[in-house]
Amino acid sequence: MTYRLQRFPTPLATSAFAARTLAVVLALLTAGAALALTGSSPLSLAREVVTDTFGSAFALEDLALLVSPLILTGLSVSVALRIGAWNIGAEGQFNAGSLAAAGIGLFVPGPPFVILSLMLAAGIGGGVLWMAAPALARAYAGVSEIITTLLLNFVAGLLVYWLATGPWLAPGGRAIGTTARIVVDIPELWDEVHWGLPAAILLCVTLSALLRFTRWGYEIRVCGSNPQAARYAGMPVRRHLITVMLLSGGIAGVAGMVEVAGTVHHLQGGISNNFGYLGIMVAVLARRSTLGVLASALFMAVLLNSGIILSTRGVDVSVVLAVTGLVLLYTAIGDEIAHYRIVRGAALSARAAEAAPKEYPPNELAE
Amino acid sequence: MDLATGLLHTAVLAGGVPALAALGEVLAERVGVINLGVEGLMALGALSAVVAVVATSNPYLGLLAALGVGLALGLVFAFVTVQIRANQVLCGLALTLLGTGLAAALGKPYSGTPVPALFGPVPLPYLSRIPVLGPAFFAQNILVYVIYLVLPVGLHYLLFRTRHGLHLRAVGENPAAADAAGIPVQRLRFCYVAVGAALAAVAGAYLTLCFVPSWSEGVVGGRGWIAVALVIFAGYRPINAVAGALLFGTTTALGFLGQARNWPVAAPVLSMLPYLATLLLLIVPVAASPAMRRRMAAPAALGLAYFRDER
Repeated sequence: MTYRLQRFPTPLATSAFAARTLAVVLALLTAGAALALTGSSPLSLAREVVTDTFGSAFALEDLALLVSPLILTGLSVSVALRIGAWNIGAEGQFNAGSLAAAGIGLFVPGPPFVILSLMLAAGIGGGVLWMAAPALARAYAGVSEIITTLLLNFVAGLLVYWLATGPWLAPGGRAIGTTARIVVDIPELWDEVHWGLPAAILLCVTLSALLRFTRWGYEIRVCGSNPQAARYAGMPVRRHLITVMLLSGGIAGVAGMVEVAGTVHHLQGGISNNFGYLGIMVAVLARRSTLGVLASALFMAVLLNSGIILSTRGVDVSVVLAVTGLVLLYTAIGDEIAHYRIVRGAALSARAAEAAPKEYPPNELAE
Repeated sequence: MDLATGLLHTAVLAGGVPALAALGEVLAERVGVINLGVEGLMALGALSAVVAVVATSNPYLGLLAALGVGLALGLVFAFVTVQIRANQVLCGLALTLLGTGLAAALGKPYSGTPVPALFGPVPLPYLSRIPVLGPAFFAQNILVYVIYLVLPVGLHYLLFRTRHGLHLRAVGENPAAADAAGIPVQRLRFCYVAVGAALAAVAGAYLTLCFVPSWSEGVVGGRGWIAVALVIFAGYRPINAVAGALLFGTTTALGFLGQARNWPVAAPVLSMLPYLATLLLLIVPVAASPAMRRRMAAPAALGLAYFRDER
């Protein structure tokens, strides 16, 4: 009896999960080894990180504040992936959403509830608007959304920076470069933690259910995994693509609105804090599960928080970005390796290989 | 220097950065591998060039250091995407995050340090005395001539006039057919992905040795992504890519000019120009004409790993 390695078109769920976990562990080990090489002690740093992250109620609040934007940006990227589109622009849509929401909060007077609703609408609108050009260009001219969404990130970042340090600058606020405080805010739930977190979780669960149990969700998944088949089945592929991409932009915009109205309370340059880019990581780690976004957002929040803690111990914050890259790289490798299974038996004959199912080129993450 | 000359001079200088990176990306994408890690490669290339030149005061060694770093990372990227066949988009994004983060963390001690030795201008005899165009195009540093003339013409010849170039393009269009014809698909992909990555890192070195003569966090500022966009705009052709880069450089120069002359537009708004211009370059031609879309189409196997047993 001989054993051989065979590649299957889809990985087993268990091996995919194992590969992902292994990827995360290996990435953290690599980062630890790198830290050890630069002379710090990774073990004592890790102990400090764990106690400082989970050790006190105050620390847990900080973590909770990081989780909600990560859930929302992760959800944004994840939804777009379902239809086979890479939203690398959640960062820009986040900025656009926070800008639009701040505009309402700063300049429109009215009762808090009305203003908050208007801010939410503006946040969604900002995100959708920022996604409009990439979505239409992809749907009608086949322009890669990866590049277009990404280029708009820089534009949105500069726009926020310009408004916060220029026309919308608070009187006497030149030194810090922010707008005045926005009076209206999302009510608090538990000390610092506001209703943004339960709202983000609710949105995630709702979307997950919509994608899994409704006809719309089914069509989205089919359009993502095999657009040709979807077209033959009479599904409006282009319309779905546009609506899902706009939805993705809108969710990232909500993330920006929640950050402005719940956590930061004014508009300032760099408000997006890489949440959009980390959202890609969240979505990829969650793989095909929209609910999985919750778990991977929590993981990314811990990673991000560790970076903030480590920065007080002389480790640069940018290390978090590098570790994120490492996790992503190992995950990509693990994903591919998970396709292989050890099977018993002699090598496939040429004819059997021909009969073996072929892999479809479109994005397997979409399924 | 008068206005037009100054504008063109800056445009040529600024365009060199994405031009070099785009030329590398053309090679990688022509063999069917999309490398979205250009931004990270440029960051590490820019930093390693500064580190090497601060230590040795020799700009050529800085260039060499970036080349080495880019080649090493390119080999890793090629191994992961070509040999292991992992998802190219994910690996590229990973490389961008890794490179930007690592360069920012390692580059802290060098932040703001002026580079002690730069590539100085080398005016070409006679040509540099042409009014307006001469000082702009022919009184630049030595790398500019390589980037705008030697490399694009050489690569164009290689891609479209040699048998090797035909093989290379075949690998990106239809690897199975290329394989059947006896072309070493995996080896060609491996080599050109690594070379493309090395060129991206050298583009970073050009940035810190010729254009902004110091390292700072975020110095690359999306130029890597602009290079990837230029490749699409150029229809995967080296000469077009360099022309596109010159257009990009012109918008950058316009932004500088506006700031220098106190135009009534805020500096951050002027800084948006290059990104918006690139976006327009990307969308307008293909949206306007379907014929253009066909002519400028991507290599058919771009982004897809090649499995021999699926033939």
